[in-house]
Amino acid sequence: MKSFKSIGMVLILLLVSAFLFAGGKAETEKAESAEKITLTMLEYQDVTDESEVGTWKVLLETFYEENPNVELKIDTLFDEAYHNKLQAMLVADQLPDIMFLWPGKRTGQITSSGKIKDLRPWLKGYENDFADIAIAPQGPNGEIWELPEQVTATHVMYTNERLLNELGLTYPKTLDELIGQGKKIRDAGYIPIAMDNGGGWQMQSCLLSALVERTGGMDWLERAMIGKAKFTDPEFVNSLEVIDVLAKNQMFSPGINQAQYGQALTDFVNEKAVYFIDGGWRVTSLVSELAEEQKSYVKLNVFPEVPNTRGQRGSTAAVAGTGYGMHAKLEGAKAEAAWKWIWHYSGPVGSKIRQAEGAVPAYNLEVPADTDILVKRLTEFTSNVPAGYVLDAKLSQEGMGVLQPALQEMIFGNKTPQQVAQEYENWVAKNEPTRK
Amino acid sequence: MTVKGTRKLSFATLTIPAVLIYTSVIIFPIIFNIGLSFTKWSGLGTPQWVWFDQYRRILGDPVFWHGLRNNLLIVAVSVFGQIPLGFILAYIIYRRMVTAGRFFEVMIFLPITIAPVVVAILWNQIFSPAGIVTELVRIIRNDPRYVFKIFENKQLAILPILFVIIWMYTGLYMVIYIANLQKINPELLESATIDGASEGQILVRVIIPLMVHIIFTTTIFAVTGSLKSFDLIWAFTQGGPAHYTEVIAIYMYLNTFRYYNYGLGGAISMVIILLSIIIILLTLFVYKHFEKKYE
Repeated sequence: MKSFKSIGMVLILLLVSAFLFAGGKAETEKAESAEKITLTMLEYQDVTDESEVGTWKVLLETFYEENPNVELKIDTLFDEAYHNKLQAMLVADQLPDIMFLWPGKRTGQITSSGKIKDLRPWLKGYENDFADIAIAPQGPNGEIWELPEQVTATHVMYTNERLLNELGLTYPKTLDELIGQGKKIRDAGYIPIAMDNGGGWQMQSCLLSALVERTGGMDWLERAMIGKAKFTDPEFVNSLEVIDVLAKNQMFSPGINQAQYGQALTDFVNEKAVYFIDGGWRVTSLVSELAEEQKSYVKLNVFPEVPNTRGQRGSTAAVAGTGYGMHAKLEGAKAEAAWKWIWHYSGPVGSKIRQAEGAVPAYNLEVPADTDILVKRLTEFTSNVPAGYVLDAKLSQEGMGVLQPALQEMIFGNKTPQQVAQEYENWVAKNEPTRK
Repeated sequence: MTVKGTRKLSFATLTIPAVLIYTSVIIFPIIFNIGLSFTKWSGLGTPQWVWFDQYRRILGDPVFWHGLRNNLLIVAVSVFGQIPLGFILAYIIYRRMVTAGRFFEVMIFLPITIAPVVVAILWNQIFSPAGIVTELVRIIRNDPRYVFKIFENKQLAILPILFVIIWMYTGLYMVIYIANLQKINPELLESATIDGASEGQILVRVIIPLMVHIIFTTTIFAVTGSLKSFDLIWAFTQGGPAHYTEVIAIYMYLNTFRYYNYGLGGAISMVIILLSIIIILLTLFVYKHFEKKYE
């Protein structure tokens, strides 16, 4: 009888406590759900890139830890699919609350639609925390549509110094010296300059833009954009001639215009190429692909001096990086929550996370001593090398659809630099919005 | 309500939903697209009426003409390559001219079961500058800079793609033909054999006349499929290098979705539709001729 009593007591206690806890939990849930803010997000990510996926996971986890009341409904897409969906959403007036944007022309249609919020009011007071180029105006009235995650140098001439030493060569100071090295490098079975231009944009973005800065400069390009200078001017033709000379002297990877993006990187990682021209973003891949010993002899340089330099000597081309922006319709708590994500991603927390993975953030951070040597070199490169404009960030995509194939034809030997320049100028004069 | 009234009501109840859906997803977009093709519109704001400007622009663009030429080559390869080849293979298997016919049937049909993107990547892996075959040729020729120049020739760059198209789609037509050949009454063939008909006579006098309808149907499939071909070529070369392998569908895609010229995109799609109609009418004309001949 006594045991029945005690069992009864235990059961009653269990029931009471269960009710109490259940009630408590329900109360908490109620409170949480009352404050919960749900935001839709269109995210740009290559889900086949393991390092990118890993970084993203950490970024999300840290965000949710700091902001448990914000829920992000994320839709992930990459490359063309991302742009197509974003464009369709814009036309249907269904843009998400937060979306990944480009500072230049790539998402110019979206940012100029009036449906993206200017981030300057939130950014006020933090401007000096970012690299100058990162917070350069993105809109016609100085608007900042997205907070750049990094500063992107689109031209870096990665150099395998071990191969250079093996061949008894040093880094060339001039274009002629570089071309002079070609035969020796090819005879030894190596590729002088690994580059892939199957997509067409690589030559324009990663080499031509830097060359235009050398032979023309930012001032000339600004004038060409508004019609006060022409793309048939020597400033532009001279930059094309450099590429033409390199192609004629077999300096590039064989089949450069057939090669898909990534092939040149593979050749460089496998030490089949002495030089490799690509963007600064390739450091992330090199950090994970190269062995520690290889990293010690991979240096980051800029293209050697070219004839007829009128712009900045020894310069690269750079652009403020991509980042997240928010829908103009967001107000109050929702806008605050969206800003929290944007700041988390491109501010100190997100920047530190990405820095550890090899990125050079737009947010000014000290480089920790244990940072990968290549990341340190890229940080140094970005800080010290003068930079000009990237063509496809300044001029329209459709125009690039004329210039880039013409460049490919020039590399094949089917067009002269003058013809390429004339073809592009004809298109720009007729269609480029800045010329109208 | 009278019986007639009830019938009318039932008819309306059953058909109106389908008509509404069909109108909204097929008829409306077509009409909208026709209207769009006479405008200049970037996707935002009000479309600007430009009448035939977009059509004039297309006709004056060499990229369009090269794309059209590539499309017509694909049509030619489909109609005069895939269909005869598919028929011959089906005939060989049906008439048991080879042993293990089932095995060949499966092998030839296999490529069509693979996604076009995978097929493109596969062939790219073989023939790209870093591909297996390219590497092999480099070793044989002792030329580390060797690449297949065919991909860099404006006139010939489309040929490898045409080959892959034949490799990929012939199996589909073969299976359709086998299915239709199996419907032929075997007694008919036996009678022809007893009457002393040779294999060639059986094929030309008995089988082909019975297959004219299906050959016509598959030709229509081949023509329409060829004019809208996109996925395989996009994954293979994206129309490059320098537009050499571009087809009209890629030309339309780039102008519409990358350059946001919706009016131009609409006009290009109208051109594709017009081309399809012209080629199908041509096929119909040829079909009528053969139908009369075999009646």
